[in-house]
Amino acid sequence: MIEIEGLTHRYRKGNRETTALEDVTLTVEQGEFVCLCGHSGSGKTTLLLATGAMLRPSEGTVRVAGTDVYSLSPGERAAFRAKHIGFVFQMFHLVPYLDITKNVLLAGGRGDGSSRVAEATEMLSTFGLGHRATHRPEELSAGERQRAAVARALFARPSVVLADEPTGNLDPDNGKVVLDLLADYHERGGTVLLVTHGPGAESHADRVVHLDHGRLLASDQNRSCPK
Amino acid sequence: MNVLGLIVEEAWHRRLNSALVLLGIIVAVALPVLYFTTGAASKRETTRLMRDMGYNLRIVPKGTELADYWRDGHSKLTMPADAVVRFKKQRNVSYNHLLAELTRRIEWRGKPALVTGLAREVAPAGKKKPSMSFTVVPGTIVVGHEPATRLGLRKGDSVELAGSTFRVADCLVETGTEDDVRVWLDLGDAQKALNAPGRINEIKALECYCRDPGLDKVARLRTELQKIVPEGKVIRMTAIADAREKQRRMSERYFAIVLPVVLLTCALWIAFLTLANVRERSSEIGVLRALGHGSGRIATMLLGKAVLLGIAGAVVGFALGTWVATWLGPGVFETKAGQIHADWSLLGTALVAAPLFAAVSAFVPTVAAVTKDPASVLREA
Repeated sequence: MIEIEGLTHRYRKGNRETTALEDVTLTVEQGEFVCLCGHSGSGKTTLLLATGAMLRPSEGTVRVAGTDVYSLSPGERAAFRAKHIGFVFQMFHLVPYLDITKNVLLAGGRGDGSSRVAEATEMLSTFGLGHRATHRPEELSAGERQRAAVARALFARPSVVLADEPTGNLDPDNGKVVLDLLADYHERGGTVLLVTHGPGAESHADRVVHLDHGRLLASDQNRSCPK
Repeated sequence: MNVLGLIVEEAWHRRLNSALVLLGIIVAVALPVLYFTTGAASKRETTRLMRDMGYNLRIVPKGTELADYWRDGHSKLTMPADAVVRFKKQRNVSYNHLLAELTRRIEWRGKPALVTGLAREVAPAGKKKPSMSFTVVPGTIVVGHEPATRLGLRKGDSVELAGSTFRVADCLVETGTEDDVRVWLDLGDAQKALNAPGRINEIKALECYCRDPGLDKVARLRTELQKIVPEGKVIRMTAIADAREKQRRMSERYFAIVLPVVLLTCALWIAFLTLANVRERSSEIGVLRALGHGSGRIATMLLGKAVLLGIAGAVVGFALGTWVATWLGPGVFETKAGQIHADWSLLGTALVAAPLFAAVSAFVPTVAAVTKDPASVLREA
């Protein structure tokens, strides 16, 4: 499902060039739940954004669902993201002026026809947010916001969900609820690449990979993220 | 969700930013509306004053002694009435109003009176101009204050003059000028009554200028007019004409300086507010891009908001500019309040120009937002 090969990303700040990722090669199979661990600044978010066709790497290729995403034009990449990729962010990034139903409807295609609205409302109910469907993000707790963000990521039935520390701003109980939602998606055949810098998420993962200073250290053998 | 819905919801959510952008557009619209509305009224007022003071150019028969002309108020000589037709057909001298007259002093019921025959006023071809003079219908007479009072005439009465009978179309109020002893007829009636068929003794013109004035515009104008009406002598009321021209040009110069400054200030105001809006929305823009919304859709959201506010600003700015013009205009331009009225064509112009102006002002921040790396947008947010 995800094939990353020889991925290197450097960025320049002032006169200083920093290597965020160096020669990363990683494959995530369809239906696999992979947990990407590493300390802050290890390059996890950079790798996730590059995987999600959001950040063109300096070198290497990224193939998602068989498509070399950086061979696509920006418009094609946007359409590809809409169809194949769902994002969950640590900071939720819900649109503040829309209620959560409309936030969910932002995902995967245009229009807000009655069938789509009904589908979004049903999904929110499944996520325990039925009573919040017409509330704006500011009226929701952090846990509810992240559940709404997961609903938005899953609404378009993407091939892959890329989650960037989705429990980072949540208490353990709400964190568990969010991880359970992602695990449920995975159990229904979805592919998940989840970035975290602390323990807790790996229990849901099929595989744990470690990133340190932009380099991929190991996979499989080490089942836990650093504390 | 469609773009229009997103724009409306966002504009309402960030009401202060939207209101400040709207304010900038309203100012940018209201000022030109104020200027053009009061300017048009001022022009009409100047025209009215010019009409009261006299036309700025007069053509009298060639042999007219100016001393006699100024003493009597008209020439004793005449020239062919078709001089007006020649004037109208020529293309070297521009004008706004032409009026042919035949004036004579006669004895009427034992008292001297001035009889003036008025032709229908001539406007340039293709330009419909409001008449500066009144028109006298053939067979009728307009009577000045003195003979009307002396003869006890009222509107609708019949009166005899030089062997013909006329119906009184109007009796004028006292003006304290020679018009108090004047009666007006249709030019044809006057020519018949004064036994001067096909003749006139004066052509009055307003806003008469050479199309190519050259160095000495007065001399040039005289030369050109001499070619058109060789049997005439040109008297130009330079003081009036120049004062009018000076007033208009001063007003245009003032506007030429003030308007760009105000528009530029408003454009920068809108650009900075849009930039602030875009920065505030960086997280939203980043996440929309992550969700697969293309740059075009995001640019449409940002520019669409500017366009919508531009339309609202055009309507409010037009209303404000027109209201201020009718409220302040009479004092500033010393015009009658009734002369200042809404120029609806300005609303049409504003509805096109204001959204365009707002979109252009918001263009740079919009381009900056849509070309920014979405990953860095999400990192910053």
